[in-house]
Order: sequence, then C-alpha cells, then structure tokens
Amino acid sequence: MRRILIIAIPIVAFLAVAPNRLNGYYLNLLYITVLYVGLAYGWNIISGYAGYFSFGQIAFFGIGAYATGLIVVNLQWHWILAALAGGLIACALSVPMGYVMLRLRGPFFAMGMFGLAQTSRVVITAIPATGGGSGLFLPPGSDLRSIYYWTLAVTLGAIALTMWIDRSAFGLRLQALREDEQVAGTLGIDVTLEKIYAFALSALIPGLLGGGYIWFLTYIEPDAAFSPRLDLQSVVMAILGGVGTVWGPLVGGVLMTQIAEALWARFPQIYLMIFGGLLVALLIVLPRGIVPALTSRIRRSV
Amino acid sequence: MVIAQLVVNGVLLGGVLALSALGFNIIFGVMRVVNLAHGDFVVLSAVFCAVVFAQTNLNPLILLPLTGGAGFVLGALVHRYLLHRLPGEIASAEASSLTLTFGLSFLLAGAGLALFGGNYRSVPFLTGAYQLDGLSFPQARLLAFVAALALAVVLGLFLRFTAIGRAIRATSQNVEGALACGIDTDRVRTISFALGTAVATASGTLMSFIYNLNPQMGVLFTINAFAIVVIGGLGSYTGAVIGAIILGLAQSFSSYFAGATLSEAAPYILFILISLLLPSGLLGRRTA
Repeated sequence: MRRILIIAIPIVAFLAVAPNRLNGYYLNLLYITVLYVGLAYGWNIISGYAGYFSFGQIAFFGIGAYATGLIVVNLQWHWILAALAGGLIACALSVPMGYVMLRLRGPFFAMGMFGLAQTSRVVITAIPATGGGSGLFLPPGSDLRSIYYWTLAVTLGAIALTMWIDRSAFGLRLQALREDEQVAGTLGIDVTLEKIYAFALSALIPGLLGGGYIWFLTYIEPDAAFSPRLDLQSVVMAILGGVGTVWGPLVGGVLMTQIAEALWARFPQIYLMIFGGLLVALLIVLPRGIVPALTSRIRRSV
Repeated sequence: MVIAQLVVNGVLLGGVLALSALGFNIIFGVMRVVNLAHGDFVVLSAVFCAVVFAQTNLNPLILLPLTGGAGFVLGALVHRYLLHRLPGEIASAEASSLTLTFGLSFLLAGAGLALFGGNYRSVPFLTGAYQLDGLSFPQARLLAFVAALALAVVLGLFLRFTAIGRAIRATSQNVEGALACGIDTDRVRTISFALGTAVATASGTLMSFIYNLNPQMGVLFTINAFAIVVIGGLGSYTGAVIGAIILGLAQSFSSYFAGATLSEAAPYILFILISLLLPSGLLGRRTA
C-alpha cells in the first residue's frame, strides 16, 4: 500500500495541476486518456472480475449522457449536478436491465448487451424530446478544465473502487462466480445479487463519464453516445493491460489512447480496421495482458 | 391479403437467412465458437458482388463459386493462423474466441470500408415480380430463396454422405469419440470454419439481390444468424431452417407494424427475447 502511495501521489498531483500548465491540444489528449481509462475500469468490474464479457456497457455511457443533457435543457440544473444525476439514472436503470440480462451467459450475454446498447440507441432516437437523430444542443455551461476535473474524479473513484473490490470479500465472491457460478451458488453466495451489484457499478462509472462527455462535445447525438467504437476501445484497453486486474485498465488505457489518437489523426479511414486487428493480435501475442505478464516475470526473478 | 403477403415476404427472407445461419451453425456445432465476424463475411461478399455488378453487369450467381471459394480460403486462414493459436487464457477459452471474432468483425468491416467505401449498394437486377392470386413474388427474392435452398440441400447432403461431412458431424457430437475413431479433429475444425465462412460469403452473394448494404452492417447478419440458431437449438440443422423462417416472418411483420425507426431494433430485441425464453431452442441441445 505504501509503495502504491509513493507512486500515486506525485501522479495525482501532476494530473491535478496539469490544466494550468498544458495548452489546448495536450489538455484534450489528457482528458481523452482519463475518459478511456475510466471506461476500461467500468468494463473491468462486470467483465474482468465477474467474468461476464459485455459488448454493450456503452449503453450506460449513452444513457448517462442523454439523462444529463435532458436535465440541463429542461430543468436548468448546474451541469455537475446533472451529470451526477445522469450517472445515478444509468445506474438505477441498470438494475432491472441486469436482472434480465444476467440470466444470459457467455456469448449470449455479450451479444445481448450489444443488442441492448443498440436498442437503447434506437429508443432514444425515437423519443421526440431527445431531438432524435439530429441530436440535442446544450446551452453553454462548462469548460474543458471543469470537464477534465469531473472525469478525473470519476476515474480516480473507479480505480479506488477497483482496489477495494480486489481486496474485499465482494471481489472474492465475484471471482468465485466467475470461475464457477454453480459452485459459488452452493457455497452460499447469492450469485444473482452479486452479479447485479457488479453490473450496477459497471453502469454507474460510464454513466457518470457520459455526463461529462456531452459537455466536451457541446451537443449529443445517438451515434456518438452509443458508439460501438468506444465499446471496442474499452475492451481492447482492458485486455491489453490485463483483464480482472487492478492496474490493467490503467496501463492498457494510457498506452492505447496514445496509439488510438495517433492512428485517428493519421488514418481515420482505416482506424477501425487497425483497432480490430490490434485486438486480434493482442489475444494471440499477449493474451493475459501487460500487467500479469510483468508481475509474473518480476516474481520469477526475485 | 396484407397478412398473406407478409407471410410470403417472411418465408422468402427466411430461406436466405437460413443459409447464412447454417454457416454459423457448423462453426458453433464443431468448435463451440460463436463467430461474431460471421455477418461481416456475409456483407463483404454482398458488397463485393454489388461493386462487380455495377462495373461489369455480371450476373452475381456466376460469382457464387468465387465468393464461396474466397470465403473458404479466408476461413481456413483465420482458423489456422488466429483461432487455432489462441492460448485461451483470459477468463475462459470461450471469452477469448468471442473477443477474437469481435475484433475480427471490426477488422473486416474496416477493410470493407477502406476497399468499397461506405455507400449502400445492392445488385439491381430482376426487379420484376410474379403475380399469383393477388400475391406478389418479387423475382429477386424468389431467385435468392431458390438458390439458398439448393445450396442448403447440397450442404446437407455433403454433411450426411461424404467422409469429411461425417467427420464434421462426429466431431460436433463428441470430440473424444471422434479422436478415438482416428479423426484428425484439428483438421476438421479448420475445414468446418472454412466451410462455415464459405456458406456465409455464398449467402452474402444472394443477400446482395434483396438488401441495400454497406460494409458496416455486418453485425445485423451476425445477430440474425445467432438468433436463428438459438431458436432452432444450437447445433441443430433442421432447427436452423425452422428458426430462419420464424425470424423471417417476425421481421416482415415487425417492419410492417412497427415504424421504420423502431423496427431497426427488432433483430436485437428478438435476439434478447429468444435467448431468454428459449434457452434450449425449439429442437435441440444447448451446450454453450
């Protein structure tokens, strides 16, 4: 724990003062990095710890984003309160959704979640109040620095949450049901309840991040809020770093965002192709991810 | 009368969807791999045929051996050099093959976008329709339906009566048993993946007659094939044909009764409902 603090305190201090030092481009990049790391942490709870691979957690990012936008436009709340409410709404909606979806397993759950994200996109497009396919424009109310601090706070919270899960009895219960759900059930774990807790946490984080993202875009439209690209990226980042580990999403997210931004700037046409190929290559070359590979090497050398 | 016409449309659509689902089913049956790139193979082949048709006016049926053959080679390569090498360490072997085909799906969709652009394309030939008792049978759909059924029958005979077909069925029933009989199950897996992909690309050629497609729409066909196979029971071939007709009917009715926007979500909602309500399919076993 002390070693972690020695590394973490200077990094957090740097991240806290960074907006005063950095110009627009680098602050943008820093914001995107923190956002993606947060999304990867959100995915890692249900998919990494509980073993339910989801290809649709972006649903809650989109729901959080739209809830925030609608609250601000209709009720004129302060944007931070609205973003907080958006995240809570996404989390609240995830409980009944999770109750139904978590009956599915493996590929059925993964693809079902993809379907749920697409269904949410279609439903939100069909509601007149959201502006449909043309989207919803926001009144001015925030700036990049505040959005960055909001996102940083959520992501640090997600990391702290993951550190807690990794050591807690809750985390052990999740890992038990990941390894064998039936055995976990016979050991007295209420698997349905634990899965729904994990799912709700995995919805809260993207929901809160979505509430900040719309201020970054200054408007919100269905294709941006429910983008399969963001989903693909959070999966790739968590796998690169190490699925179901505390530090995997951080390492994977930071590395991959830099690669992604460089690719996006240079090859927008073949961006998805490269990213898909990268995921395929990673699974074969480095299936456990960077963090487990490094720690096992360090342990061996000691 | 409207209802009867919707039934005709649904059955004709179901025939083509059945062929695509059979490809998905072979791969799942033998390897227990859910191929999330399935629909991208379908759509890439369809868009390719549309591009060739626009350039040369060539009847896409002539392209069938080419698209099917290309699918076979691609599928064999994907299995040999990618799926076969998966160490299966993240969470479970199932999760890693699922994630790999998820990545492959983006790779193929992106490649299609880079090669053919994002325009919607189709093969605009046989635009007429036969009239019978007030029902209309669009020629293109009819041709696609007949061709799909013919291919499905050929595939069925192949699986039933050839040595390779028997080996494929044996491996999907019991891997240890197949090994004990001297079947090279690794080779069977490669052949099955290649065959499943070939069926996907061949069905894509037929889809190009009836759908307006762009390279990013593959996921729709993946989810359709997945839903069909779930309705019919994973691994059951007769079930897949029945499931395809049911899904074809459901789509034709939902697009008529729900608006254009909402019916876009129909395949996804159907998939979720079917997985929840029919966990072991109409006829068949589920061993996922």
